[in-house]
Amino acid sequence: MECVHIDFIVCFWSSRNEKENWKVHFYSFAISVEGLSKIIINTGQDIFIEGCDEDNPYVAKVTRLYGDENGQQMKAVVQWFIRVSELPVNKLKLLGREPHPQEIFYYECRNCDNEVNVESILRPVKHLDSNDPFPDSADKDTLYVKLSWDSKVFRVVNSTVVESPAEPAPASSPPSSTPRGPSRRVLPTPDHAIMHKASLGEVGCSSVGTPANVEAESLHSATKLSASKCLSAKRRNATARTPGVRKRLELSSECLHKDFKMQPLCRTREQQGYIYISNTKSSEVENEKSPMVTETPRSSKRKSAMLVSSRIKKQLNLLENHQDPNSSGEEEDEFVPSKNDLLSSSEEEGQDEDGPNIDDQVSAKKFRYVATGSRNSRSKQKSYSSARTQRRTPAKKISPGTPQTPRHATPSIPIRSLQTQQPANILEEARARLHVSSVPESLPCREQEFQDIYSFVESKIVDNTGGCMYISGVPGTGKTATVHEVIRCLQHAADMDEIPSFHFIEINGMKMTDPHQAYVQILQKLTGQKATPDHAAVLLEKRFSNLAPRKETIVLLVDELDLLWTRKQNVMYNLFEWPARRHARLVVLTIANTMDLPERIMINRVASRLGLTRMSFQPYSFKQLQEIIMSRLNKLKAFEEDALQLVSRKVAALSGDARRCLDICRRATEICEHSAADPSSTGLVGMSHVMEALNEMFSSAYITAIRCASTQEQLFLRAVITEFRRLGLEEATFQQVFVQHQALCRIEGLKPIGVSEGLAVCQRLGACRLLLLEPSHLGVLQRIRLNVSQDDIFYALKAD
Amino acid sequence: MSKRKARDAHLPVGECIKQVQQILRERFCERRLPDRLEGVEAQYKHLLELLRRTAIHGESNSVLIVGPRGAGKTTLLQCVLRDLQKEEKVQKNLLQVHLNGLLQTDDRIALKEITRQLHLENVVGDKVFGSFAENLAFLLEALKKGNRSSSCPVLFVLDEFDLFAHHKNQTLLYNLFDVSQSAQAPIAVVGVTCRLDVLELLEKRVKSRFSHRQIHLLSSLNFTQYLERVWTQLSLPDSFPDKKFAQEWNAGVKTLCEDKSVEEVLQRHFNSSKDFRSLHMLLMLCLSRVSVAKPTIKPADLLEASRMCFADTTANMLHGEYKSYQRSVFYPWSEDSK
Repeated sequence: MECVHIDFIVCFWSSRNEKENWKVHFYSFAISVEGLSKIIINTGQDIFIEGCDEDNPYVAKVTRLYGDENGQQMKAVVQWFIRVSELPVNKLKLLGREPHPQEIFYYECRNCDNEVNVESILRPVKHLDSNDPFPDSADKDTLYVKLSWDSKVFRVVNSTVVESPAEPAPASSPPSSTPRGPSRRVLPTPDHAIMHKASLGEVGCSSVGTPANVEAESLHSATKLSASKCLSAKRRNATARTPGVRKRLELSSECLHKDFKMQPLCRTREQQGYIYISNTKSSEVENEKSPMVTETPRSSKRKSAMLVSSRIKKQLNLLENHQDPNSSGEEEDEFVPSKNDLLSSSEEEGQDEDGPNIDDQVSAKKFRYVATGSRNSRSKQKSYSSARTQRRTPAKKISPGTPQTPRHATPSIPIRSLQTQQPANILEEARARLHVSSVPESLPCREQEFQDIYSFVESKIVDNTGGCMYISGVPGTGKTATVHEVIRCLQHAADMDEIPSFHFIEINGMKMTDPHQAYVQILQKLTGQKATPDHAAVLLEKRFSNLAPRKETIVLLVDELDLLWTRKQNVMYNLFEWPARRHARLVVLTIANTMDLPERIMINRVASRLGLTRMSFQPYSFKQLQEIIMSRLNKLKAFEEDALQLVSRKVAALSGDARRCLDICRRATEICEHSAADPSSTGLVGMSHVMEALNEMFSSAYITAIRCASTQEQLFLRAVITEFRRLGLEEATFQQVFVQHQALCRIEGLKPIGVSEGLAVCQRLGACRLLLLEPSHLGVLQRIRLNVSQDDIFYALKAD
Repeated sequence: MSKRKARDAHLPVGECIKQVQQILRERFCERRLPDRLEGVEAQYKHLLELLRRTAIHGESNSVLIVGPRGAGKTTLLQCVLRDLQKEEKVQKNLLQVHLNGLLQTDDRIALKEITRQLHLENVVGDKVFGSFAENLAFLLEALKKGNRSSSCPVLFVLDEFDLFAHHKNQTLLYNLFDVSQSAQAPIAVVGVTCRLDVLELLEKRVKSRFSHRQIHLLSSLNFTQYLERVWTQLSLPDSFPDKKFAQEWNAGVKTLCEDKSVEEVLQRHFNSSKDFRSLHMLLMLCLSRVSVAKPTIKPADLLEASRMCFADTTANMLHGEYKSYQRSVFYPWSEDSK
């Protein structure tokens, strides 16, 4: 059963644009969850819109509300505000000061969708855009607008854009009496001029009456916050709610209702406004309404206001001490967890705040909109309910006054005490430039690949769509470097305002302990939140499947993709599924070593989602390697031409790994430096140095190891070969080999060795992996195999 | 005769013998690093230069020291580190992390150990040792934050390097080598192993990130060098308090080494194995036979020690000779006292 109803209270005009269909425009509407409070949203009011972060929902101002002709889809056109936490970190410094935590910025960027589904609206909020300094109060729900942000610079906000409060409350009244009638807050007086503007089809915006008294407001907002949280939680759990809770809620609201039988003066004014507006409505509506238009003395308004404020204070206390289940008196105690207390008390608050409005709705012409369970909303609810169970524990832990360990400790390696020395000569300079870590100004030899990746990502960013790309190639062929270069260029383009800005995230399969940690890392890099893998998966799922407003494209680089393999492949599946979602705006670039990874390890549904956008990086050819070294050296004359050619040809023939090539060159400079004492040397790295470096790196140590082995060890190797020849097998037991060994000892004129000594010799050869042995507890019965070719052994021993 | 010498140097012979035993035992048990390495000068220089560059220039490096057991790999590394620490520029500029593949059997333990040795756990109180994943992220973050010119270089010594290659996914090795090949905090990774095929154990992507520097410690020593080595190992340093006794002792060692039967025994040892650890074992057995009553090493001692070294314990046990063997190994003085 669906419990979220959205009722449109007032319909005051219908318009028809040339291109659009009939639209029904509304002035305000109420969100109600069955058994819970109603929240009324008006045009021009500031609202919270459900985002990916529960604690920091998006902030916006409603400029227009409308539904399409059959009333099935209700939309709100909004003007966005951006929070400090949503700003890119590197842009924050443009602000030039510490941002206030409650500060928001008028968002002037045009590239985001300003149409939202009304279902995503959480609750109203208010902002102050005075030029006064920020107050010190830790008010959670009052936001401050000082500047506007257009994704490039901060500007002082234009006061005509964000209108100042139209209806200032009497500033002289004491805080205890100023809390305004709840109905007044949520139903502001419609303004003639605005209505006129709106009817002309302009994006009209009126401002909500914002009281000047911040302190009193904070009382409201604190309860409101919990009420709205509760509302959203309610939405999520709507299906899972038990009748018991319902019953209890009714009980508690009943007991509170009697306080509010008198309604304040201002309501009448509003209702008059209604009547005025809805002159097109049937008289039946007016008739229904008229009995309620009553004049109430001003004193009673005060009285009720005081009652409200005392009520709120009580509720606040109750909230703070919600651990005590009996504090709310008449409530049934069948629900033990304190969470329920929190829930019920805030619901009560919601009830008595919005109580009067229920009456209003009876009188107003109703447009009932029942949210139908579309694919999105269903999956959302499912994810919500599991998300909530995850959240429960940390939420309980947070108690006021308990010192918490810092959430984000900054790890760092100690600073060195002495400065690094700068390279003193050409060779040292060359070595520094040839180090793999030194980032070159440009990447030579990968122009084509660069262009392909660049245009792929750019097109996705410009079109606001998503996509996957698979990049393969053997290690050291510049895959990651090229992608980073592409991102660098795109960032530059975004800074120059050529393309919309985007968010780049990088994860590496090797840098996580478990494939599911990928979710945690993505979430943390996206929002800074920390979560368990399951929770993170749920949050990401929600983020990418929601029609979440104001999202910039996310470019996700997944390095070492093959490490994200799990038996059910759900990590890979999700990574490739998300970009295909309509509103995800996610570009996934994946990197792995093997070209046929999708065919080899992925099941069909994963491989199919990855798509066919693939790119393979070929190993570098010798010319390319040479170019790479030349570009790194950047006209520094440290190598002879032939030497460079030798290195690049050799590496290209073996692996085409640029890292290897650079390492060899680096080693060659060292060798050159050591032999610099030789007067014949030119100071350049020559052929001989490179040859030596190549030999060091490529020659196998087996031959040398055999030559350096002791006489008995060499004899043993010969005995092994002799025994293999005799048996015609590549395997023999120690016993058999030992017999041969003793015979060989006699031939060589040495004293035969004992079994223990023979075993020791055998073990030593096994430790070096010249021989492959079975576990040593088998003693003389352990089987022996050679780990080097027989020819190598003969060669090594013959040259002796 | 010896009594007279001892009186001249104002040191009783008992005291001298005690000193000799102490100095030589320290040497044979490898408790004390040799002042100067022999036969591995090139390798020493290579490693010293490499680590010095890391410490002073902040250049990241990775290197493997490969050689058979008992070839002096760890000794080489220890000597290099000792000599590096003597340099003032290096002294305060190098953090060391020592890991052993036999102790840190998986990456989780290894990461904890690294965090502990880098004293990073103090930075965040009790928070660090949450989960393995957090730990890894924390450490990588720490290393990533650094840069070449400002952060302190870290030296990672991985003893029994081959065992680290058996860890799941080789996560630790990949990350260490990746840091050493990117512009992060400067690190030097020194792996010590006896396996010649260690590079084949590394995954492709890990291998590509390794700099492929290998220092091989393969002793190409011949028999005369071996004899010389025995002689230097047994002789007393010039700093010995009783000069007269030291001279006497060194001369005794020289005559010992020139003895025909001793040479034969040593030749046999040399044929069997060239590593120093087995030689030290042999010399240790000789040394334990030196007493006040017999203040020099006689050829017979060496023969006896050699006999014990080569004794086939399994066969001896079957022959019932175990008892006598045991007595001679563990209570060598019992024969002297007879």
